[in-house]
Amino acid sequence: MIDIVGLIAPNIFWILAIVIGGTLISISVHFISVGGAPAAMAQATGIGTGTVMLAAGAGIAGIIAAGAVMDLNQNFGVVLGAGGVGAMVMLAATMIVATWIYAYGVGVMPVSAKVKYDPITKYRQDLYVSQGTEGHGIPTVAFVSSLLGGLLGGIGAALAYYALMKVGTYAYSGVTPLEVHNLNLVGVVATFTIGFFFINSVIPSYNIVGTIEGFHDPKFKRWPKAAVASFIASIPLGIVAVIAVGALAFAGGL
Amino acid sequence: MTEQKMIPPNTLMAFGAVGGLVGVYLAYFFAPANPIFVVFGALGAVFAAVWGADAVRRIASYGLGTGVPSIGMLALGMGIIAVLFSLALGIGAGGPIVAFIVSCAIGAIIGIISVKILGMTIPIMVSATTEIAGAGALLILGLGIVIAGSLDYAIFVKEVVTTGFIMMIYIAGGMAMLHPHNSNLGPDETQDRLLALSAEKAGIAVVLSGFASVAGMGAVVITVLIGIIIWYYYFGKYYGFVKRDAYKVVDTGLLPTEEEMQ
Amino acid sequence: MEPLISMGVLALIGAAATIAGASEDLESDVGSQSNANSQVQLAPQMGYIHRIYNKAIAGEPVSNGMMCTIGATGALVLIKHFGFSPLFALVIGALIAAMVHGSYSVTAIMGREASQARFKQPIYLDLIRSHTPVIMAFAFLTTFSVEVVSYLMVYSLAHPFPFVLLSFLWGIVVGSVGSATGDVHLGAERQFQQQPFGEGLNASQSGSIVRKGESGLRNGIDNLWFCSKFGGPMTGVSFGMVVFLGTWIILVFDPKNGVVDGWLSNLLGVVIVIVLGVWNWHIEKETREKYGPFKEDKGEEVSA
Repeated sequence: MIDIVGLIAPNIFWILAIVIGGTLISISVHFISVGGAPAAMAQATGIGTGTVMLAAGAGIAGIIAAGAVMDLNQNFGVVLGAGGVGAMVMLAATMIVATWIYAYGVGVMPVSAKVKYDPITKYRQDLYVSQGTEGHGIPTVAFVSSLLGGLLGGIGAALAYYALMKVGTYAYSGVTPLEVHNLNLVGVVATFTIGFFFINSVIPSYNIVGTIEGFHDPKFKRWPKAAVASFIASIPLGIVAVIAVGALAFAGGL
Repeated sequence: MTEQKMIPPNTLMAFGAVGGLVGVYLAYFFAPANPIFVVFGALGAVFAAVWGADAVRRIASYGLGTGVPSIGMLALGMGIIAVLFSLALGIGAGGPIVAFIVSCAIGAIIGIISVKILGMTIPIMVSATTEIAGAGALLILGLGIVIAGSLDYAIFVKEVVTTGFIMMIYIAGGMAMLHPHNSNLGPDETQDRLLALSAEKAGIAVVLSGFASVAGMGAVVITVLIGIIIWYYYFGKYYGFVKRDAYKVVDTGLLPTEEEMQ
Repeated sequence: MEPLISMGVLALIGAAATIAGASEDLESDVGSQSNANSQVQLAPQMGYIHRIYNKAIAGEPVSNGMMCTIGATGALVLIKHFGFSPLFALVIGALIAAMVHGSYSVTAIMGREASQARFKQPIYLDLIRSHTPVIMAFAFLTTFSVEVVSYLMVYSLAHPFPFVLLSFLWGIVVGSVGSATGDVHLGAERQFQQQPFGEGLNASQSGSIVRKGESGLRNGIDNLWFCSKFGGPMTGVSFGMVVFLGTWIILVFDPKNGVVDGWLSNLLGVVIVIVLGVWNWHIEKETREKYGPFKEDKGEEVSA
């Protein structure tokens, strides 16, 4: 049996960081403009795939970037930034190509059906919505909103990853601290972060129910509920993760 | 096909939870004597997958507002965290049962949060989320012991997590739970067909875990063999159910004629 | 590693990723998967019986994540336990993944169509026999390319994640990129070619997919032919960009050299994102001007 109190006491701060990371992931999903199945038929505004899977794709690109950078440079800001930027690059590259396909393959312009004027470009929207659809493509407001979502989600995932790495490399009394390059540590932390990410991206998708266009969508107002839900759900997950990763550090990385 | 008699959820729950735990424990206690006994872990995982697939079927039929795959990923995500935590505690034979309980607890917390805070109206939300979390944990334990040959935290981390094979368990195990519902979606879906498909996909997961096993050649051969037998048997069964349920199975043909469609 | 060699490896990674993206999308077009498949699923219910593969394994990200993980698992086992050379092992791993994927595809179409018995949708076995090998071939290509990406990243660019884990992650990303980009070409255009070009699908037309081909009945391979001209390659560009740009920014400014370089690499990423955003806005402006509105403005003064 391992010393649970001795593990949790020095890591309260990092547990809090994991919980905040989970909450950020949860909020980020609301920003990402997701049209679900209808968007694949140019029947709804947004990216043509489901909330969880798109958020997961972006967040995972963030985790990959954060993991690569963490190995090279352990600066808190740089790692978090790398996570956020990795997710943003993934979403931007996906959205620009989706726009090509909407514009040149399907022949529709990007337009939102939820607002009359695009809050960013001030373009009139309702006249450009083709009949029988809920908008199509990714207009500027949805693009910007998705990028913000990617940024938050990537930062959230990187924060959870960074916190767990710090828990693993902490100098516990009587133990040689692990290196950040320790493969066992990286494996366990990455596995945890992925599990954690999936849980926290499913919770907001229960809140959104289907599609969301971004921060200009009326559904966006629901985000506090998902944030609270993820905050509460992340507390036990954070404690459990810290104990498992800390046990690895106690065992000297095995 | 409502006249079909269904296996009640509680029977399947008992079948999956007990079968899964017994399988994992048999593997746990007998593997030190002879590594080929890890095959019991694989059988336990098959039981858990069938149970999980039934739970996914019940909850996803309500319409979650998100895809079926998400719930499978959620289940295994909860399972992975619970399993690594419980094995890290270093409590020996208590590990698997604690993992199961912790996973169910995480599932229950998420289910309660979904109902109380997000206001989801699905009546079985809490119980079904708990069930899929438990099944997810048993799947990871069962297939994990096949790969590592042991549930000792050090060996488990080295052989299953650091190699990345845990992701294979995550996704192949998750697919055994979510694929049956996703690919049988439709008004004429039947429970026995879905469960047969789950066992078939769990067979594939067993073959792959057996192939990746480090528990010795004997364990590799016997698990792969058992996996192939499970896969073959249940594929036949599934195809039988498909032929029973489908409008018709034809070698080739045109679309049905107007008269036929009346 | 020498920066120049790293760049060479990265170029290879980018090329492999582009192939992975293109084959991923074409694989989902032959079998009709993910979001565009909702129409194939809906068609029989609206009375449109069809001969199109209905491959609903799971969402695209999950099913691609699965085949890439299985491929990587097979390859790693062969390298570690059996001492195979990596290239050979990656090929065999991809082959295992393609076979598993084929089995999933077969059970998916059988299950979905058996569950539509009341709409009188038959199961055409020749369709399964002719399409499944094509699906497996594309699955092989995707898996192999993603394995190459992950393998080079781990063993050449020293990414800390385990090889199998990284394959899993890139598999999920390729699936999510593919379902967000290339599937639109299948869903919004190819499946509804009888509808006027330049409009989104009218909700009242849902399920009314094209069922007849140039000769005979349309099947998934006909859809593949069409999508391979635009949707597939574009998806390749998209995934290539995701992998290449995401890695390029930390090779140009290596965070290993200090915090400043770390921030510069992040800044470079932000610049790329802004450029893509401006491009998106530009296309929006251009298409609005060229295509024009669908409705006249009745509420306010009529514009010319």
